[in-house]
Amino acid sequence: MNKRVRYRVAGLLLALPLGAWASGALPPSASEPQGRQPAAAAPAERAPGVVLRYPVLDKDGKRLPDYVVPDDALIDAAPNAEQIRLGQRLLNDTRRLLPGHTGAAMNCNSCHIQQGKKPLGAPYINSFNAFPQYNPRADRVVTLADRINGCFQRSMNGKPLPRDGIEMQAMIAYMKWLAQDVPPGAQVQIKNAWPIDTKLKPDSTRGATLYAKQCAACHGAGGEGKRDGAGNVVFPPLWGDESFNIGAGLARTFKAAAFIRNNMPMAVNTGGHWGEGGVLSDQDAVDIAEYFTHMPRPDFPGKERDWPKGNKPADARY
Amino acid sequence: MGKRLWVVAAGLALAFTGAVGGAHWLSETRRVAAVEPQIDDEAMIARGAYIARTADCIACHTAPGGRPFAGGLAMETPVGAIYSTNITPDPATGIGTYRYADFRNAVQAGVRRDGTPLYPAMPYTSYAIMPEADMQALYAYFKGGVAPVTQANAAATIPWPLNMRWPMAWWQWLFAPAREFVAPEGADARIARGAYLVEGPGHCGACHTPRGLAYQEKALSLADGDAFLSGAVIDGWRAKSLRGEAQGLQSWSEAEIVAFLQTGRTDKVAAFGAMADVVAHSTRYFAQADLDAVAAYLKQLPPAAGRINAFPPKTDATTAALQAGRYETRGAVLYMEFCAACHRADGKGMPRVFPALDGNSAVFAESPQSLIQITLEGGTMPANDRGEMAFAMPAFRTLSDDDIAAVVSFIRGAWTNQAEPIVPQEVGHMRKFLAGKAPHVVVNRPEDKKGD
Repeated sequence: MNKRVRYRVAGLLLALPLGAWASGALPPSASEPQGRQPAAAAPAERAPGVVLRYPVLDKDGKRLPDYVVPDDALIDAAPNAEQIRLGQRLLNDTRRLLPGHTGAAMNCNSCHIQQGKKPLGAPYINSFNAFPQYNPRADRVVTLADRINGCFQRSMNGKPLPRDGIEMQAMIAYMKWLAQDVPPGAQVQIKNAWPIDTKLKPDSTRGATLYAKQCAACHGAGGEGKRDGAGNVVFPPLWGDESFNIGAGLARTFKAAAFIRNNMPMAVNTGGHWGEGGVLSDQDAVDIAEYFTHMPRPDFPGKERDWPKGNKPADARY
Repeated sequence: MGKRLWVVAAGLALAFTGAVGGAHWLSETRRVAAVEPQIDDEAMIARGAYIARTADCIACHTAPGGRPFAGGLAMETPVGAIYSTNITPDPATGIGTYRYADFRNAVQAGVRRDGTPLYPAMPYTSYAIMPEADMQALYAYFKGGVAPVTQANAAATIPWPLNMRWPMAWWQWLFAPAREFVAPEGADARIARGAYLVEGPGHCGACHTPRGLAYQEKALSLADGDAFLSGAVIDGWRAKSLRGEAQGLQSWSEAEIVAFLQTGRTDKVAAFGAMADVVAHSTRYFAQADLDAVAAYLKQLPPAAGRINAFPPKTDATTAALQAGRYETRGAVLYMEFCAACHRADGKGMPRVFPALDGNSAVFAESPQSLIQITLEGGTMPANDRGEMAFAMPAFRTLSDDDIAAVVSFIRGAWTNQAEPIVPQEVGHMRKFLAGKAPHVVVNRPEDKKGD
């Protein structure tokens, strides 16, 4: 039978049940055994257009208008859009754009998740308004520029930027933009990192096993990270010459654990900011952190000047 | 006047009775008797288990989180859901009391033991070409190699009168002829084996061949029609064209097809949506020779009529622009905020971790459904046997239709991609479709380990 004939007959067939219904000639066919209800559609987490909104308290605890994480598209509306954009790019692509200031094959946003927009992911949301602040490690009041340069010398294992230079000012401009209308002294009510239980006892051997299972696919079995075809950082090295030095916060077991607990591994489920979460327990995070933080990494030359009052945390590396 | 009406009514009633009666007669004649084979041979059962893998029985006959082969997976149709059935050897609720003839009639002719014709959601039009020896081994496996599960079959939610099954007998008469496998002309043994796996147990055409008005696959082999494996939309997913054309498999090498079917990913792409299930439950279990055969067969398929072999060459200007901070469209701004952390400014992703978007045939497919769906819903790669993590993409359903259209349009035209942009209405339609869709099959079921 050729195709055209088949289609015609098919059309006729489709009409048959309707004819049967119109005639009322046939009863409904006997139903098969009832076993289950039709599965319900998975509920949407949030409707489209719903924004991430957080309460804001001023320094006296008074509630201010809520903070909404701004979309990048809003940058263009700012009078200094170009400066903000540059700052954002420097934070995203630090190694490529500032090779003279970075010893580590890392970017600022290797640790500051989603361009510093993610609560628990070392966000920049409160950075602009939280400085100057007293820093116990330095035992003095530090500015935001000081703090950023601390990162360059420790996490980036590099050299500080000129405080008044275009690059430093651009990064600060991005953080100021990210703070939106939150006034100095006020705080968006978010946490910077997972509140990890510091009483847990780290088990480095268990950490090595978990690392192989949960981390090595991206950061490499030897902690070497991964680069793209042009040699740019994709997954930062977690130890070795191109990783952060021992002066970095992330070189401390519990700081690192608080970071990875909720942010890593990324891209493993269909929820969350970048598919993170629901994989590591506090103990897992502490064990993994103990393992990779204590692998060989660069020294920090200025380490003697840290914690001059002797209030060194237990997981400090020197 | 009144008399004429009576004559017409009587004629209609007669035609109707004939249609119903004819349907029963057709279903009866489709059923063929068969000699009961010996099925207590372990090697035969093992062979049957492999054939069941190539036919991917488990994917549809297992509900998300359910016991293997106990049925209950919802399949959406425009008029309601039907549920796959229990095909474990449980005597009360499964196929424990089926004889070989019953089994073969169901699998290859689409007729249940009680004579009811099956919906073509069961790909018996494809299974029809499986040889007798394979059917016997498959039967041996379902009788002796599958654990019985007591689980009653669920009723379809298709309302009367559309739930009447007898018209399906006529459908089968038209579209599901009894047939045997015919190797493509000039095919060597490897390509013939590939053609058999693709047309037969693999039932690739069930998703990848467009269907006609009566839901029939427009072609069951390349010899049967040019629509064969030319791409179709099913369950909101675009099942890509598997033909040798620009938006089909032209950009894939045989080695990439093998790697994809075996591990769910290549350096460039990753399986997602319905294909992730196919890899997870079926193709990753294929023997190497069978994977090679499928790849060799697919790669020699010509483009469908009117389709271009390859896109004209295009130089990537996108990477340099993005890396220099020149975001020329709203889509580019959104890309850098929401996508670039994984898929990267160069659109290359990271081999076997994050799929590339540049040069990824799922991205520049003619129809954007899959791209829109995965952007809204996210997706998870199938587990594989190399110990690689099953990476996932988060859902971006919180973005507006306008934004998703902007970013999807951007990636379809960025780097070396040359696909048409999309409009927000397409995103809206997909969102509505997904709201009414049963949850997607869960891949990587714990009990679905290799060697089970």
